[in-house]
Amino acid sequence: MTAEHSAIELDIAAIVREQLGNATQVKVDRKGRVSVIVPREFARDAAVGLQRLGFDHAIAVSGVDYRSEKRIEVVYFLSSYSRDDLTHVVLSLKVQLDRENPSMPTLTAVWESVNFFEREAYEMFGVNFEGHPNLQKLLLQDNWDGPPPMRKDLKIPELA
Amino acid sequence: MDTESGKEPRSSSSFGMRLAPGVWVGSLRDLIERVFGAPPLKQLVNWGRIYSLWPVHLMTACCGAEFGAMMGPRYDPERFGMQAATGSLRQSDVLIIEGTVTKKMAKRVKVVWEQMPNPKYAIAMGDCACSGGLFHDSYSIVNEVQKVIPIDVYVPGCPPRPEALLNAVIKLREKIRREEVYSK
Amino acid sequence: MSTLDLNVGPQHPGSGHMRIMVRTDGDLIVEATPDIGYVHRGCEKIAESRNIIKNIPMLCRPNIADDSHLNWSYVAPIEELQGVEVPERGRYIRTILCEINRIASHLYGMSIMAGIFSGHTTMYMFGFGDRELLLDLAEMLTGARLTFSFFVPGGVRRDLPKGFKEKLLETLDHIERRLPAIDRIFVSNPVFIERARGVGILRREHAIRLGVVGPVVRGSGVRCDVRKDAPYGVYDNVDFEIPALKEGDSLSRWLVRFEEIKQSISILRQVIRDIPKGPIARKSPIVVPKGEAISRIESSRGEINHYIVGDGSDKPYRVKMNTGSFKNLSALPFLLKGARIGDMPIIYGSLDYWPVEADR
Repeated sequence: MTAEHSAIELDIAAIVREQLGNATQVKVDRKGRVSVIVPREFARDAAVGLQRLGFDHAIAVSGVDYRSEKRIEVVYFLSSYSRDDLTHVVLSLKVQLDRENPSMPTLTAVWESVNFFEREAYEMFGVNFEGHPNLQKLLLQDNWDGPPPMRKDLKIPELA
Repeated sequence: MDTESGKEPRSSSSFGMRLAPGVWVGSLRDLIERVFGAPPLKQLVNWGRIYSLWPVHLMTACCGAEFGAMMGPRYDPERFGMQAATGSLRQSDVLIIEGTVTKKMAKRVKVVWEQMPNPKYAIAMGDCACSGGLFHDSYSIVNEVQKVIPIDVYVPGCPPRPEALLNAVIKLREKIRREEVYSK
Repeated sequence: MSTLDLNVGPQHPGSGHMRIMVRTDGDLIVEATPDIGYVHRGCEKIAESRNIIKNIPMLCRPNIADDSHLNWSYVAPIEELQGVEVPERGRYIRTILCEINRIASHLYGMSIMAGIFSGHTTMYMFGFGDRELLLDLAEMLTGARLTFSFFVPGGVRRDLPKGFKEKLLETLDHIERRLPAIDRIFVSNPVFIERARGVGILRREHAIRLGVVGPVVRGSGVRCDVRKDAPYGVYDNVDFEIPALKEGDSLSRWLVRFEEIKQSISILRQVIRDIPKGPIARKSPIVVPKGEAISRIESSRGEINHYIVGDGSDKPYRVKMNTGSFKNLSALPFLLKGARIGDMPIIYGSLDYWPVEADR
């Protein structure tokens, strides 16, 4: 990673560290990839700060079930349409949640594009997004009664 | 033809109750079924049926792309009487299950099947409709579509080429040509 | 006011494999709620139980008409984690297949919107007839009409066959000759313009707020395309433009796709002229190293991303795919609110929503 290629990513990383303080861990993985890890209490403030910086829409929201480490991570991938120097950057905002009772404030008020993405994370991982306008099943069948399917508890038989 | 008790099993070759040699009593419906169920009118009715198979517009999964290609100008099913899918269920004859049937969609497939009037036929297109295919170990699909609706022709492939689907339509026509007029 | 609840269900000529629950007041739609999940097959869960090569056909099925983009988006994070770089000829061949796929997929979507959803089947026959020639080309290269599964981590499976270049140029000439006919008969047609102009207007600020992608966002004035913003493959060596129109109605979304076909033809001519000799693939082990990576590929319906978390085994720990149609889903209830019932197929068709891709 040469200096002129990674200038904007390092700038962003420095600004985020300054705004959010010690609770966050910010890392520049390579050109165009920055990751920010926050605990759930700071998720909303981090989101508002990043939106003011120019990250105006979310391109995906993913849950990851780290069963052996007893946590579920919800990752928001953000990018920008309005700032020309940020269109190539994907910033991953990772929120670490407790696996027994994963719950975090919704970010639909900050980025409207996460409405359907959070619904999917809710039904696939069982994460409760507090304050979501319509937290209901999206993809599963009407009478699904099993555990959230993407958790590692539900096993699919492995092919040889 | 005539049993001891005077009652006969209902089939297209029987008509009502026999009173005396050459004299039968029965309903008009029995007469019509007897006349149309026997050749040569049976062949005429079946000929009409095979040349006017209207498919239902229900896309089940990804094989729908090849179904769409088959309806295109290169493969042209219209020469076999299968024209563009209408929206109306009461005027359709063939339900083509294109691809995987999920549990959420299976309920609707059954409702659609029950609304279609007789005679109706079903073609299971693709490996997923025949037996589960690529997604057989998924938590949300129905592996055997024949438990939801009765299937007449199975077309394997992932997805089957449009020529294979046309071959299935031809096989369905052979099946209709052979069957009884009032069997369903 | 008294409203009527309508169910534009999975069995409907204007809905595809999804349900739109519509509440109407007379002719105007007051509220529209999409109900999706009719084709949810659990691709992401199944992907965790198969090794990375066996996942390729399964993960390309969500969008069968746009197979090569999904394939590239899946193998790119694996290559990033393994540190394997695709050789130049392999990248050129990938670009060729992707652009052929883009033209075929655009013809599919455009035929459905200007044809079936407008009430006739003539455009459907025009588009599908020309699309067959492109599928013949793809079959010559990969062996399959739609389901190529042609990219593996490290490169591509086969080299270009003999006679491919001539057949490609012949097909491109034919399609270029057909485009003015399509323009004259269907696009400059006053009936189609009356149906599509001014219908379903999505302004620039709403488009950014809703996070839509692909031709939908380019039809609203945002000139963004991953091929220019974060180039992959050989797109930084090729000269092409990104069409964008500022009206934001259904007609401009259709015209953006029309222009993109012309740009794809130009890209293909440049790529087949400049393709170098060399190997087509590098050796890559069947293992996903520890770490995580995300890919960004511009498919015909928008940007797709694959987020892969590896744990060192031959099976991925987590595969998350997000496709263009799922991102554009938030535009559907927004655009249908306040529209007329008769405009619903045109608005739905202009988003080019592919339900299988959104449900995965």
